[in-house]
Amino acid sequence: MSSKKKIVLAEDNSTLSLLLKFRLEKEGYEILIAEDGKKAIELIEAHSPHLILSDIMMPYISGLEVISHVRNKLKMQIPIIVFSAAGQEEMVLKAFNLGANDFMGKPFSPNELVIRVKRLLSF
Amino acid sequence: MIDLQYYTEYFWELPILIKVVWLISGVLFVVILALIAYLKFLRSHLRENEKTLKKYQKEYEENLINYLYAGDNENEISEAQRVLINKMKICVADKFKRKILISVMSKLINDISGEMAHSIQKFYFETGLVNYALYKLKGRKWDVIASGIKELTQFEVKEAHNEIIKYVKHPNLEVRNEAQLYLVSLFQFKGLVFLDKLKTSLSEWAQIQLLEILQKFDNQEIPNIRPWLQSKNNSVVQFSLKLVKIYNQFDVRDILLELLSHENKEIRVDTIQVLNYFQDTECKHFLKTKFNTSSEEEQIEFFRLLEITADTDDEVFILENVAHTNFKIKLAALKILKAINLEIFNEVKLETTDLQVVEIVKFIEAN
Repeated sequence: MSSKKKIVLAEDNSTLSLLLKFRLEKEGYEILIAEDGKKAIELIEAHSPHLILSDIMMPYISGLEVISHVRNKLKMQIPIIVFSAAGQEEMVLKAFNLGANDFMGKPFSPNELVIRVKRLLSF
Repeated sequence: MIDLQYYTEYFWELPILIKVVWLISGVLFVVILALIAYLKFLRSHLRENEKTLKKYQKEYEENLINYLYAGDNENEISEAQRVLINKMKICVADKFKRKILISVMSKLINDISGEMAHSIQKFYFETGLVNYALYKLKGRKWDVIASGIKELTQFEVKEAHNEIIKYVKHPNLEVRNEAQLYLVSLFQFKGLVFLDKLKTSLSEWAQIQLLEILQKFDNQEIPNIRPWLQSKNNSVVQFSLKLVKIYNQFDVRDILLELLSHENKEIRVDTIQVLNYFQDTECKHFLKTKFNTSSEEEQIEFFRLLEITADTDDEVFILENVAHTNFKIKLAALKILKAINLEIFNEVKLETTDLQVVEIVKFIEAN
């Protein structure tokens, strides 16, 4: 059984997902990619990850719905970091109200993301 | 055989109108069959195209990511990166592949910042993609030029400045917008220099886009707005008024007072709004003297200003307008009166025969 910490990455930008997957795998994490919210929920339910990275705007099920599902239905208290584009400040506030732990505004630095992931997983 | 002959004879014996209907039906049937065949071909062709697109997209995504992680600390471009650049240089010669690569790079550069964003820009130059975008600027179609400028903005090609500044006066609105966005996105406030000689109108949407870009920058040292406030181009004046308000440029107050007499009504209204924002009291005397000749919009804006700045000196003027025909002005006048002199307000309340005033007073007292 793998001892690597699992991270579910929900992001509809496939290039960004790939870039972050490479970067986080280099740091020793196991990355599970979901291209939409629906797939993200499936992966979370099947793999019980240690952390979730989620974009707010995604097809089918939004990042907000993913957070709500994790916190209210699955009752999981794992750290959640959300990504948001400029002009989505209200969405970010909603994400925090639903139980997100941190957020990063796009465009963001992958190196900064790694620091935040490490910090949240060290607790 | 007999059947066919029978039907042929039967057909020829039919009235002419029925014959025509049959012939049209036959032709339509053939056309529909041909169309179905064409649609089937088109669908399979599009699916094939989509498959190819996805294949290249995946390949280019991987190549780009490999390039981004192949850097070393010793060289600006590592050996491994050079190999990938050379490989992609061949691909970009093909228009279809170039388009896919650009879309992959655009997707990424919009979402990431820092060193990796710089690496993508370097990749854009090294693969020669920049030359194709520059070539687009020489295109005949406006959409090609606009997309070229947009691409150069996205990949922050400052070197194209001299080429792009020419398009600020382009007859096509989209091209002009893209050129203006390029200048402001890459040169920040200095990019606003195009306002000096702008003769075409700056649309409201373009103004919003420019302001949004300007607010992203850390450097908020804004240039001299005065010449733009005195521009002959009304849209430039309106845009400058927005800058005055957002960046608190109260030192241009003297020009703002001059703009209260501008020939354009919208500018006069916008100016009162800006003065209201600064809670300026010195403009009140001038606005009072020209109140009766002002437009209703200006009068309403002036009363909004008075709601914040009015004092006992304004009492007479306010009283004169308690019976104004405009409801908003009437409401504002009574509100102000209550705030600055409750005694007079109560007198008006008792003496008025105007039913609307009675209702407004009730509303003000209840809130």
